[in-house]
Amino acid sequence: MRKLVRLQQIILFIILLLVLSACSKTEPTNVAAVNPTSNDITSNTSAKKTITIGIVNAPVTLNQINTQDNSASLTPISLLNDSLLDVTDTAQFIPKLAESIETKDKQTYKIKLKPNAKWNDGTPFTTADVAFTLKLALNPKVDTSFKLAFIEGLNEIGKLDEKTTDITGLHIIDASTFEIRAKTPIDPLVFNERFGVKVNYLPAHILKNVNPEKLSTHEYFQKPTVTIGPYRFTSYQKGQYVELAKNENYYLDVPKIDRIFIKVLPAANLVAQLQTGEIQMNSLPVGLVPITEYDKVKSFDNVHVTSAPASEPAELFFNTEKLPDKRVRQAIAYALNRPLIVNQLLKGQAEIIDGGIPSSHPYFNKKIKPYDYNPEKAKQLLQEAGWDYKRTLTFLIPVGNKVREQAADIVVQNLEQIGLNIDVQKFDFPTLIDKVEKGEHDVTIFTRDYYIEPSLYFTTYRSNDPDSVIRYHHPLVDELILKGEQEIDEQKRHVIYDQLQEVLHDEVPTLAVYSEKRLQVVSKQVLTGKPLNIGTFNQVNQWDIVTK
Amino acid sequence: MMRRYIFRRLLISIPVFFGITIFSFLIMNMAPGNPVDMLINPNIPKEMLEIRKEMLGLNDPLYVQYVKWLSGLLKGELGYSYSSFASVSQMIGERIGPTLLLASTSLVLGVLLAIPIGVISAIKQNATLDYVLTGLAFLGTSIPPFFLGLGFIYIVGIQLGWLPTGGMTTLGGTGGIGDILVHLILPALVLGIAIAGKKVRYVRASMLEVLQQDYLRTARAKGISELVVLHKHALRNALIPIITIVGTEIPLLLGGSIIIEQIFQWPGIGQLTMEALLSRDYPTLMGLNIVAACIVLSTNLVMDILYAIVDPRMKYS
Repeated sequence: MRKLVRLQQIILFIILLLVLSACSKTEPTNVAAVNPTSNDITSNTSAKKTITIGIVNAPVTLNQINTQDNSASLTPISLLNDSLLDVTDTAQFIPKLAESIETKDKQTYKIKLKPNAKWNDGTPFTTADVAFTLKLALNPKVDTSFKLAFIEGLNEIGKLDEKTTDITGLHIIDASTFEIRAKTPIDPLVFNERFGVKVNYLPAHILKNVNPEKLSTHEYFQKPTVTIGPYRFTSYQKGQYVELAKNENYYLDVPKIDRIFIKVLPAANLVAQLQTGEIQMNSLPVGLVPITEYDKVKSFDNVHVTSAPASEPAELFFNTEKLPDKRVRQAIAYALNRPLIVNQLLKGQAEIIDGGIPSSHPYFNKKIKPYDYNPEKAKQLLQEAGWDYKRTLTFLIPVGNKVREQAADIVVQNLEQIGLNIDVQKFDFPTLIDKVEKGEHDVTIFTRDYYIEPSLYFTTYRSNDPDSVIRYHHPLVDELILKGEQEIDEQKRHVIYDQLQEVLHDEVPTLAVYSEKRLQVVSKQVLTGKPLNIGTFNQVNQWDIVTK
Repeated sequence: MMRRYIFRRLLISIPVFFGITIFSFLIMNMAPGNPVDMLINPNIPKEMLEIRKEMLGLNDPLYVQYVKWLSGLLKGELGYSYSSFASVSQMIGERIGPTLLLASTSLVLGVLLAIPIGVISAIKQNATLDYVLTGLAFLGTSIPPFFLGLGFIYIVGIQLGWLPTGGMTTLGGTGGIGDILVHLILPALVLGIAIAGKKVRYVRASMLEVLQQDYLRTARAKGISELVVLHKHALRNALIPIITIVGTEIPLLLGGSIIIEQIFQWPGIGQLTMEALLSRDYPTLMGLNIVAACIVLSTNLVMDILYAIVDPRMKYS
């Protein structure tokens, strides 16, 4: 027996050494540190209302002025921060911090803040916070996701020049009123989205002495306890979950749900945990229940399953330098059996459109009739274009979105059926982007973000963008893009963008394959609240859940 | 003698360590894509991306970037993540604990399963029990851990509802060792089974070899009970080669736990590695490489020393 004891000692010794040797840099306190150190009160108040939302990618940052447009990060950030406006799922604006936004000439916008707006520590929110945030975020040394190049006094990339600290386009009138002046008149929609919705604020009373160069690594952004939103930060257990508690000091109705957990889990477990009730809802677009699991989630009796309106489509992007003849691109459009993809792969939970703008978007051109499935016509077009059948097309496919990968496989089969040779290459996203930038692709597929402001859907078609995915040159398209960006009358803008969509439909530099109606899976315990394509949390203070 | 041996091995580790950092740095930078181009959003002006590259020092020649990073390291700074802007040493610090906990538990579990099974199967060589046990061991190595993991989640977590399907603590719970242990069972079992499956065959083979030695026959002839013969004379000798094999398992365990950590949402460095890799977060990746290098180098060293302790025949050269 002694020998076995000795053996056990040796093994224990190995483990001990392993733990000790794991580099001097790491502190040995970590196992204990993983225990939530948050409020102890939670354990004895079972009546607390809690919702757990599942997402599949971990939030990378909680920095409200540099969200990196990362959808996973935006989930906690939008619960922690209110902006002047929020947006509904039909792209309408609703006021939050703003009492009113007025403009007479579409160049000067006058904003009145809600008089009772205050940070979650009770400090009033004033125009001093607005000025502080803008001056800091627009400092050339600071990273920000704000896109405010339209404001007077900022340079082309939307920053202050070196050594200037004042924004000429920002005019503070009093503690609750300020004006923003644009370089030229702009559509209020642009102002509302870029300034009203996308600009979050920093608490001047907390960060006033910070060095701009060191801002991004400041402790505040790891634990942003003072924010202005319906929820306040409790903890972020890296790789596990973000815990938020309701803001008792909220300037609107105090939320009914006491705590919200945003739980990070792999896609494969999302459905399982909805079934076990460990999470109460999925999230869009970072907690997608694969549509291939539709029948399965439908069969669970503890959840409601609904479909959101059709969202941003997965699109083919053609390298138009390698495929300059539009007949070839049209042939590809005719060759795709999209009804099969929608009905078989996506169980009917998708729409067929051709352009990048989803059908629920106000600027979607309803008059365009999508290309139908017509392989004969496709072959005929290839003949007319004098297609060289010995040529091989390189099709780059990003891995990660299973449904999109499967759809791409069907696309490849369809293209082979009309006689095209396809070389399929699958890569992780950074690799794919690198190859696309070098122009190694003939075709690639990915999904763009949702934009309220329609001009953002078209920047990729501009010819002054030599490294763009499609490398597209078309004088009329350039002209219409410019007109669309400068037009400030909504009706006229609609006309311009309708025409632009028609031209692009005929030219096919990009082609949507399917526009998915994402599944919204919500526990039956939840009385109010569900994931939406955009603006999920715009009324989160009204959300409610049955307590067990 | 021993001390000099350890000292020399430590000295050798130093250039190896720097070699590893140079190679990791080169390979990482050779991988296509970079952290800034990830922001392919066509609405970000090109100039903005250039400014960001400049700020991150990505436009410097590679050797300048390496020297900058190395001088940081010598000052004890691993830098800041390109995506979360958190300090790398802090990020790794938060994650290393859970990984070591999972890895060490699985290793102990694996060894504790493998030794008795291997020994019994050697003693009962070619009996039905032997076939059953080696069959099970074969199954343990053949089933990919990710599959076994998903199977466990489905059966134990969902159908039976006995154990949580993932994570390390209950959401918003008060935590505590009991809570962590409950979450630890499934991932540790999956990794443990994979380790045990591989080790059983080694233990069995090693035990069989020893069992045929003459000194065992002598021992038995002296009238020592079979149990003592097996424990005192056979097992100890049979386990010597096993120790080194267990040692080689440790670096593999760190690699293997990347997948298991994903499946069970275990908040360890495996998960962090995947995130950093997919966003080409160079400082975090380098930090993780250093940790991995330290672990591999130190386990190799410890294994060699242990080997010297249990087998006095070894020459220190």
